[in-house]
Amino acid sequence: MTQSFFQALADGLTLGSLYALIAVGYTVVYGIVQLINFAHGEIFMVGAFGAVATFVVLGGGTLAWWVLPIMLAGGIVAAVLVALATERLAYRPLRNAPRLAPLITAIGISVFLQEAVRLFYGRIPGFPDAKSNVQFPNIQGVTGSPFVIGGVTIQRAAVFTVVALVICTIFLYGFVNRTRLGRAMQATSQDPDTARLMGIDIDKIIMIAFALGAALAAVAGMAQGLLNHNINFRMGFIAGLKAFSAAVLGGIGNIYGAVLGGLVLGVAESMAVTYVPGVFGGSAWKDVWAFIILILVLVFRPQGLLGARVVDRA
Amino acid sequence: MRIPQLVSPEQQQRLHPIGTVLTVVGGLVLLASTFLPWAYSSAALDDMTILGYPSTLQLYAAGFGLGAAVFAFLGRRLARGDGRQVVGWTRGAKTASVAAAVYLVVILGSIGLELGGLVNVVYGGWVALVGALVALVGSRLLVSGRPPRLARRVPPAWLGILSIAAAMAVVLYAAYYGLDQEDAGGFVSFVVVAIGAVAVLFRLGVMRWLSAVSGRHRKVLIFAAFLTAFAFPFTQNGSDENMSIATQVLIFAVTALGLNIVVGLAGLLDLGYIAFLGAGAFTAAILSNSVFSTVDWHPPFIVVVLISGAVSGTLGLIIGTPTLRVSGDYLAIVTLAFGEIFRFGMINLDGTDGPDLTNGSNGIPGVPDLNLFGLDFKDTHTVLGIQLGRFANYYFLLLVLIAVVILIFVRLNNSRIGRGWVAIREDEKAAEAMGVNVFGLKLFAFASGAFLAGVAGSIKAHHDVSVTPDQYIFLESAFLLAAVVLGGMGTVLGVLVGATLLKLMPEKLRFVEEYRLLIFGLLLVVMMRFRPEGLVASKRRQLEFHDDDDELAEKIQSDIDEREATGVVPVGGQA
Amino acid sequence: MRNKRLVIAGATLLAATLTITGCGTRSADTGGQAGGSGSGSQKVAKIGVIAPLTGDLAPLGLGIQNSVDLAIKQANEKGTIPGWKLEIDAEDDTATPDTGRNAATKLAADDEVVGVVGTLNSSVAQAVQPVLNSANIVEVSPANTNPTLTKGPNLDDPKRPYANYFRTCTTDSIQGPFAAQYLFGVGIKKVATVHDKKAYGQGLVEAFTTEFKKLGGTITDAETINPDDSNYGPVISKIKPGAPQALYYGGEYPQAGPLSQQMKGADLDIPLMGGDGIYDPNYIKQAGGAKVADGDLATSVGAPTDTLASAKQFVTDYKAGGYSDPYGAYGAYAYDSANAIINALKTSLANASDAKSARQATIQAMSSVSFEGATGKVGFDQYGDATTRVLTVYKVDNGEWKAEKTDEFK
Repeated sequence: MTQSFFQALADGLTLGSLYALIAVGYTVVYGIVQLINFAHGEIFMVGAFGAVATFVVLGGGTLAWWVLPIMLAGGIVAAVLVALATERLAYRPLRNAPRLAPLITAIGISVFLQEAVRLFYGRIPGFPDAKSNVQFPNIQGVTGSPFVIGGVTIQRAAVFTVVALVICTIFLYGFVNRTRLGRAMQATSQDPDTARLMGIDIDKIIMIAFALGAALAAVAGMAQGLLNHNINFRMGFIAGLKAFSAAVLGGIGNIYGAVLGGLVLGVAESMAVTYVPGVFGGSAWKDVWAFIILILVLVFRPQGLLGARVVDRA
Repeated sequence: MRIPQLVSPEQQQRLHPIGTVLTVVGGLVLLASTFLPWAYSSAALDDMTILGYPSTLQLYAAGFGLGAAVFAFLGRRLARGDGRQVVGWTRGAKTASVAAAVYLVVILGSIGLELGGLVNVVYGGWVALVGALVALVGSRLLVSGRPPRLARRVPPAWLGILSIAAAMAVVLYAAYYGLDQEDAGGFVSFVVVAIGAVAVLFRLGVMRWLSAVSGRHRKVLIFAAFLTAFAFPFTQNGSDENMSIATQVLIFAVTALGLNIVVGLAGLLDLGYIAFLGAGAFTAAILSNSVFSTVDWHPPFIVVVLISGAVSGTLGLIIGTPTLRVSGDYLAIVTLAFGEIFRFGMINLDGTDGPDLTNGSNGIPGVPDLNLFGLDFKDTHTVLGIQLGRFANYYFLLLVLIAVVILIFVRLNNSRIGRGWVAIREDEKAAEAMGVNVFGLKLFAFASGAFLAGVAGSIKAHHDVSVTPDQYIFLESAFLLAAVVLGGMGTVLGVLVGATLLKLMPEKLRFVEEYRLLIFGLLLVVMMRFRPEGLVASKRRQLEFHDDDDELAEKIQSDIDEREATGVVPVGGQA
Repeated sequence: MRNKRLVIAGATLLAATLTITGCGTRSADTGGQAGGSGSGSQKVAKIGVIAPLTGDLAPLGLGIQNSVDLAIKQANEKGTIPGWKLEIDAEDDTATPDTGRNAATKLAADDEVVGVVGTLNSSVAQAVQPVLNSANIVEVSPANTNPTLTKGPNLDDPKRPYANYFRTCTTDSIQGPFAAQYLFGVGIKKVATVHDKKAYGQGLVEAFTTEFKKLGGTITDAETINPDDSNYGPVISKIKPGAPQALYYGGEYPQAGPLSQQMKGADLDIPLMGGDGIYDPNYIKQAGGAKVADGDLATSVGAPTDTLASAKQFVTDYKAGGYSDPYGAYGAYAYDSANAIINALKTSLANASDAKSARQATIQAMSSVSFEGATGKVGFDQYGDATTRVLTVYKVDNGEWKAEKTDEFK
């Protein structure tokens, strides 16, 4: 019994780390412009495809460990560029529009990015066809035979995912609290008008928020590719929805809340698969449980676990 | 979306006479060219190879050419004063020239694409293009002059009613002709013609005049509109082919109208609306006499309709109660999540992962046809010598439903509740401070929208014969939303236009099937950027989306003044 | 600013013009119908095709369309039906029921249509069946495996819902048990099952489970996955403690491949077995190549193509036909479906004055159709199901599907 508990815990933490990495993107952007960047799930997908693209461009097909950071960098660049482009071309002109406008735009971007990858990715010479699953390269060191500790199987890629989350969180903490830019971001999120008066370039801060979220999403995309051995153009939809739930669970606008929310949601989902008795257990209902958690949080604690700065009670 | 001004007003003053000449000449050249052959082979579009006898599509071009020439001429030649200023001749000429040029590019492009290369365009086509371009250049040099005042003219009642009847006849013919186009190029050309003609009429002031007239004779207008819709199946000569598309358009339009109450009137973004349609459809399918039904109780259809609506409405209450209290953005995501919960639920309630209710992803096939008031919907009936098939029966039923929904929509919009929604949309906190029951009104909008979707779903179940979970996915919600956004949030006409376009385009334009979603995504982004109020804008919405545009505000104010001066009531839904 | 816009607009226009003009050739046919060839004396009958011709499943749908085209061309060349010229009318269903129904209504409205080959998806078939049935048009599916389409909702008390519906492929209720017998026969007594909750997958697993238990085997765990899922970790974690000797998967290769790979990556090194939905070269690619997929199994209907003369003939003819798309998994069935209709037309069109009046007779003639097709002997039982019950188990060996065992199902 304890074995299955720890197995579920390990699976849950892995899944949760993925959610957490994506959720940070929602929360950072929301904290600054009060915009739910619905297309963020697609940025995560673009990151994963960017990593594969880098691998293809690298040629040779070598799977040595040193390919990993290069792919990661490629994925991050792709995700950040796409995120900045959406911000500049679609969201910025709508900054003062009624709230419905950016949300509908976000849906449009989301559909557009999915379709663009599906239709055009495979047309670039040498690139795999993206209309069905795309194989993710099995990089040495982070894939291969799993670790088995006391009967609990832990994938190498899972270790990569959790370690990536830890490093990213430390980096975020340092960035937000120790750098000028980070402090400017905090100031903007607390009071944009005053921040502007203090000489902070709001446009720049917003772009940095988008870039930061995109970079972490790309890391998550890479991690998911390694975990599942394949990626596809639809992967951003459900993942984005779950990550948003995680951000709300932790308290949207709160970066550490997003990390915590992601982990809690991942573990809850995994435990539900193992422990919910009867027909409503099992993996068929796991997504439903995650969304029910989202709704319950909104009913009983709309400010989230760690308490968000912004919850607009009507 | 404004066409950028290429020539400055001063230049226009100076060059106006030359412009007139160019436009007239260009228009006449275009007119003449339609008697020449345009295409090398008759395989593209309709037969454009004949010398001396224009085809239908060429006739449309002739129409634009003639329009440009005559309007430009009249704008110049008529005596100053009434003749020149009541109708926007020059404006009409300008638009007709633009339409002619766009139309020719589309036609020649289609010929090129369908026959493989522009070599297949014969000299007549090039003459036509040159004519259209000359007219276009010339028309750019014209001074638009003051806006037309035709709308202020009050015609005698018989003329007004006759015009409404004529307009409806044109609409009916357009629907018949448009649906009859098998070939994608022909369909696109027709759409361009339709849009061009409407635009020209707008600029001439005729559309405004017509809308003022119909404002005066509203009952006639409504009666005529329904008569037109009612007459449509009789143009199909017993063929079910287009009727099955028409019924799908109607189901889609009814659902989009329901969504429009939620999004357009109350300003709540619902991304899981399809789930309510699905809930209604599944309820109706389960309670139907289908052999695959999992419940042993099969009440008559009238009861089923109400139960379906109630089930959806209840789901709306359940999902709305917690989320409507927090910010609107959350609602969007929670409804999205709800849509997914619904889909997973329907897939899982199959007997292995939950109680057996929906047969899982197999869904419930074999839902029998309706049988209402002794009318068996699966039979073909002959009325006035014209056969009306199965889909025509559903068409009439759906027509009744859409009438009811439009009635509810307009009534709600013009009531105390509707004004409450406006207040909430514009400033929730201020509305609350003024004593508007914000939560109650939002919940009402959400639940009533859900109820209507449920009712529509119950008919859809019988129409579709089989109900499966994969018909009710997020993308369908996005399409519904797009119909509302594209057409115009908060308007009836807009949503009808949007729904028709979105359902018809993929049916008629099979070659873009692969790129359908890509275009769709791009369309949402571009619409929000450049024309967030939609094709048919509600005045109030237009102002909400452009609150820093003073020019627009003034224009709308002057419109309102004008209406008050002539005592015209605004037309349906455009509060 | 203004000039810049003009330049951009101009450049776009120029580019568009170039694309259209590029490699322009005048089409050869000038007069449309090139008259002559005595077509005046020949009456026309059409065989429709309803299949996904665009979208993800387009490769399979195009294979079906081309194979039907091939059958019709051959019939016209041989003059199989004297006095009649056969034509194909292919409609796209985009794998969705709504579009499929539109396609069916369109075909039903055409008086020259006497039969339809299609559909690919069982869910689309449910929408198409009633439309074609009310128009008395025979429908032969090369790919629908859902048993309820021919036997109604209650399989223990089968009732045929639509008399116009036939199929050349076998159903899930035969493939599943065949797999169970094979696995039990090679000494595997403990199996876990997973399916994707779609009609096809669920049907396979249910039929497999019943037979496997009857034989005396144990099902250690029965799980489901969501077709949109890409991470099967939770499912694998649940299956592993039961220590099964094989995994039976009901579903298609886009999920089965990654499942096999993730399962083996999680130290659960047992073969995965599935139905014809995974019998596809793409399965091996999706599973990550030979190293992972070797040893995995699939059942498919009919004997392997290289053992059957009629099948070899089909493959050769298809290649000679110059079609740009491969015939795919269902091409041979589609070819047989079209030929079944053509065989029935031989009787029904013989004395018919026009195509429409022959519709009912065609349906009646279908039940006596019997010939040697590309997939073996083609014929239909009283429900419209294929009578042939020959199946083959294939195994991945060195990154390729190899026939392992061919047998008649009892």
